[in-house]
Amino acid sequence: MQSRLLWIAVALVIWAALPFFVPRNIADLLVFTGIYTIAGLGIGLLLGHCGIVNLAQATFYGLGAYASAYCTVMMGLPSIVGFVAGAAISMALAYVIGRPILRLTGYFLALGTLALSAIASALFFEWDWLTGGTLGIGGIPKLNLFGFVLDRPSRYYFFVWIVAFACMAAAHNLVDSRSGLMLRAMRDSSTAAAALSVDLQSLRTRVFVVCALFGSLAGSLFAHHASFVSTQSFGVDRSISFLLIPVIGGATSIPGIVVGALFVTFLPEFLSKLGDIHQILFGLALVAVVVLLPDGLMGAFGRLRTRLAARQGNHAR
Amino acid sequence: MSLSSIARLTGAAALVGLSAMAAQAQTSGEPIKIGAIVSATGAGAGLGIPERNGLLLAEKDINAKGGVKGRPIKIIIEDDASNPDTALSKANDLIFGQKVVALLGPSLTASTVAVGGVTHPNKIPQIAFTGIGPAVERERKCVAHVLPPQRLNAQALLEYAKSIKATKVGVLHDAGYGNVVMAELRPLADKYGVKLVAVEKFEIGATDTTTQAAKVKAAQPEAVFIIATSATPFRNVKQIQIAQPVIAAIGSSSYEYVNAMGPAADNIAIPEFVVGEDPLPHQKAFVDLYKQTYNSTPKNYEAAAWDAAHIIATALTKAGADATGEKLCEAMKAPYTGVLANYNFSADDMTGIPISSFVFSKIVGGKYTRTPFRVAQ
Repeated sequence: MQSRLLWIAVALVIWAALPFFVPRNIADLLVFTGIYTIAGLGIGLLLGHCGIVNLAQATFYGLGAYASAYCTVMMGLPSIVGFVAGAAISMALAYVIGRPILRLTGYFLALGTLALSAIASALFFEWDWLTGGTLGIGGIPKLNLFGFVLDRPSRYYFFVWIVAFACMAAAHNLVDSRSGLMLRAMRDSSTAAAALSVDLQSLRTRVFVVCALFGSLAGSLFAHHASFVSTQSFGVDRSISFLLIPVIGGATSIPGIVVGALFVTFLPEFLSKLGDIHQILFGLALVAVVVLLPDGLMGAFGRLRTRLAARQGNHAR
Repeated sequence: MSLSSIARLTGAAALVGLSAMAAQAQTSGEPIKIGAIVSATGAGAGLGIPERNGLLLAEKDINAKGGVKGRPIKIIIEDDASNPDTALSKANDLIFGQKVVALLGPSLTASTVAVGGVTHPNKIPQIAFTGIGPAVERERKCVAHVLPPQRLNAQALLEYAKSIKATKVGVLHDAGYGNVVMAELRPLADKYGVKLVAVEKFEIGATDTTTQAAKVKAAQPEAVFIIATSATPFRNVKQIQIAQPVIAAIGSSSYEYVNAMGPAADNIAIPEFVVGEDPLPHQKAFVDLYKQTYNSTPKNYEAAAWDAAHIIATALTKAGADATGEKLCEAMKAPYTGVLANYNFSADDMTGIPISSFVFSKIVGGKYTRTPFRVAQ
């Protein structure tokens, strides 16, 4: 127990010191890692605990970002209004859309969420009176916390990660709660769970709404960091990269989401030094992880730890 | 060829070679680092790759001519993969990590506005390879643009329509780039006495626009504007046998699109800037050097990047390599005659390109020919 606490303390010290020692572009990537962690958490809950493939996270991410952009730039309202409006709209939409489409299962449900993402992406283009269309909305103010302006990545890093930790704690509580047990029962055998009077559809809808909330929060945080939003950030490709986060890190593990977010933000950056083939290399890296480590990087790490512990046990005997 | 003329030619060649070497030898000292962000991969690669070629050629040319007061320049080129988030990280790296004195690019509007959020507050001069975007860009007085604003592109289309006496025009445009130009075109059309008899929009990446083209045909226009970044509407217009003149916006002016149009490209008129097959006198040196280096013909985006690099080198020569961003910015604002156009970055649209910089080309057998039509300022 003591060694675990020590590890947590060391990790916290490294986390707090990191932005002061890394170059600004790395701090910027760490901010994106935090933002993607929040968005990926929602997908992880759906994928790892409900067995639902959600390809619509960029929709909620976009709603959060546009709500923040519209409220602050077009209406001159405080930033918090954008966060709340984005979250409320995303959750309401997730509920309204989730009720009918979450009746589907497997590939059909994945396609349903993909359709939602495609429709939202087209609407973000078409409703240019609201979203600025191709030109987007620029000049979104940096967040201001009691007079302290979070105008550089090293400052924004702390805010984003505190929100990310809070979301991780909330997700952890959800998974550990009675609802979490029902979720796992539903994932492993939905018929058995239904026989035990678990309201499958309501449960799935609730998790979908939580996922949308995380997506919207991430979107609002992104808008205040980039100071600009346009349709290019909320396409179907972004939904796919959000889905990659739990797939790569490990869908059932909350630290796995952070690992997955680190993978999708840092790896393309490092590979880009290798020239125009970097996207092919990233694709190959993805295929390698999915084929060789089907339960993600955290799953592989867990297996390695078990194997090492077993070997140590054998030696002790 | 006589012996004496061979000797004269050899002598001249040696002289050119020596002078080039002498010029190159003049550069010494630590290179002045200039950052550049292009979309070399992803959806914007059609713009980013030519721009990268233009930048590399400009770097070679500037250094061969003695660099900036004898110091060579080094353009550090990064790829944003057509993604504004990546562009932001790359800009942070170039400005704060590599300590570049100025930033060229990016290729796309979204990335330009995102990067402007870093260059503007930190007073780093930026020359983007885009036209001016959303309203916030007008406040960024040190983010210049080497491509025309969409209003000017719309104006150029109307000028050409006026020149062929077309007063009833049909428009086919896509939902992205086409929508932005269209928003500028509508109010301008009245001023030019042009009636837009049919305006049909289609999705970006649409594989068939025959229905929209048929509606435009049914309105019996005297000319058709196509404003898109796609070859599809051009093929469809040909398929349904629209015989009226087709005028394309600059967005589909690249060889890539023209090749994809096939025979449908014939006779299309395009208001643009660089016709590599028949350049204007002040564009010839650039076009020749480009052809010599890359064995292909340059178009607008290569020239835009070339101009951006030369503008910043000129400003550095004027203000000094160690000048602050603000001083460099001031130096950049002097009127500049580029290969693509004449610029004046103190103009309200951060471009200052006059309509007279446009040339109007026509495509014949997959090649561009420059028409004699020009618009007086």
